[in-house]
Amino acid sequence: MHQSLNRLPSSPTLAVLAAAVLTALGGCSNPPIQNERLETARSEYRAAQNNPQARSMAGAELQQAGDALRLADQAWANRDDIEEVDHLAYLTRQRVAIAQEMSRQKAAERAIATADTDRDKVRLAARTDEADAAKLTAQEAQRQSVAAQRESEAAQRQAQSARRDTVTAQQQAEESQARTTALEAQLIALNAKKTDRGLVITIGDVLFDNNQAQLKSGGARSVETLVGFLKQYPQRKVLVEGFTDSVGSEQSNEALSTRRADAVRNAMIDMGAGIDQISTRGHGEAYPVASNTSAAGRQFNRRVEIVLSDESGNIPPR
Amino acid sequence: MQPLIRPLFLLAPMAAALVALSGCSTTPIPTDQMAVSTAAVASAVSAGSGDLAPGEMKTARDKLDLAQGAMATKDYERAGRLAKEVEVDARLAEVRARSTKTQRAAAELVEASRVLREEMNRKTR
Repeated sequence: MHQSLNRLPSSPTLAVLAAAVLTALGGCSNPPIQNERLETARSEYRAAQNNPQARSMAGAELQQAGDALRLADQAWANRDDIEEVDHLAYLTRQRVAIAQEMSRQKAAERAIATADTDRDKVRLAARTDEADAAKLTAQEAQRQSVAAQRESEAAQRQAQSARRDTVTAQQQAEESQARTTALEAQLIALNAKKTDRGLVITIGDVLFDNNQAQLKSGGARSVETLVGFLKQYPQRKVLVEGFTDSVGSEQSNEALSTRRADAVRNAMIDMGAGIDQISTRGHGEAYPVASNTSAAGRQFNRRVEIVLSDESGNIPPR
Repeated sequence: MQPLIRPLFLLAPMAAALVALSGCSTTPIPTDQMAVSTAAVASAVSAGSGDLAPGEMKTARDKLDLAQGAMATKDYERAGRLAKEVEVDARLAEVRARSTKTQRAAAELVEASRVLREEMNRKTR
């Protein structure tokens, strides 16, 4: 060993040797000025760093990529084995890819959370709408039910009212009928006849004295019945018409017929009939109802006819 | 002893340089890294990377095979580098698979949400 040390080369030789060794050391890599893969890794890392989404969502992964890049840079600066630099550059690129992918995943997760919330909102809105609609339907149904009830009540009221009206009408009809019946009965008692002009009551000659205008007591009784009727129906009116036979002059007959009609009117007013209810007319020997050639015929012609108005007081003229 | 000092002075950096040199080739056996990388590949597979990130997955698997081969030939430096690359490759494959799944789910959800909203709008109308 000692000998071998003695046999060591002189110091300049040693210096050359050391330099050679150092060169060999560096010779692990024989680098060009730039490593293409390292530059690619660096630019990809920068791109990731400039992506705000990656920075905020994959910070840890991005930091690992940064660490890997630093190691690669160091290896490059140390002129390490090219394979080592390439290897570290590759690791950097993969770390960057992981960071980018991670940020995409996080973004998707965020989108899911948003969509969930969104869907919940939509569902909630839908449920609220449904509930509102149901409430509206219920309210509407209630309104309709109330309306229907009201309508039904109204209909019932109308029906009752109609029934009442019917009853009233019926009663009125019955009353009217009863009145008519009573009237007719009374008038029939007076020997009233239905004619084109209405009911006509004839008071015959026998109720007057010959050539006199004074009613006999029997005539007065018939008139009394008629007056009772007129009192009962004040809207009714009568026209009292006097007639004679053809015996005597026309003027005297007309005057006599007028007097007789007036006599009947006066008698009726005396009995309580309204003045406005009775008008008179003397027709003389006109309108005979029988032949004047026989005594019996002439007797028929000497008469007073009382024409009863309709309910509103109208009497059709002859 | 005196004449020995100088040569020794020179020898020391040489020895150091030799040690450093040997560092290029003499690497510790990357057993741990191999285990980590194998686990990373398994994890990626279970995340569905075989279907969802087939390119990355193939790269990781191929490199794992190469790393195992290097381990067998005791090329530990190469095995270590390959194993490290397998780890990031597998990790990227896994993240890509998960991300793809999540993005698909998001798209489906957004679509479902849109359909629901559309339906609601139609119903209320």
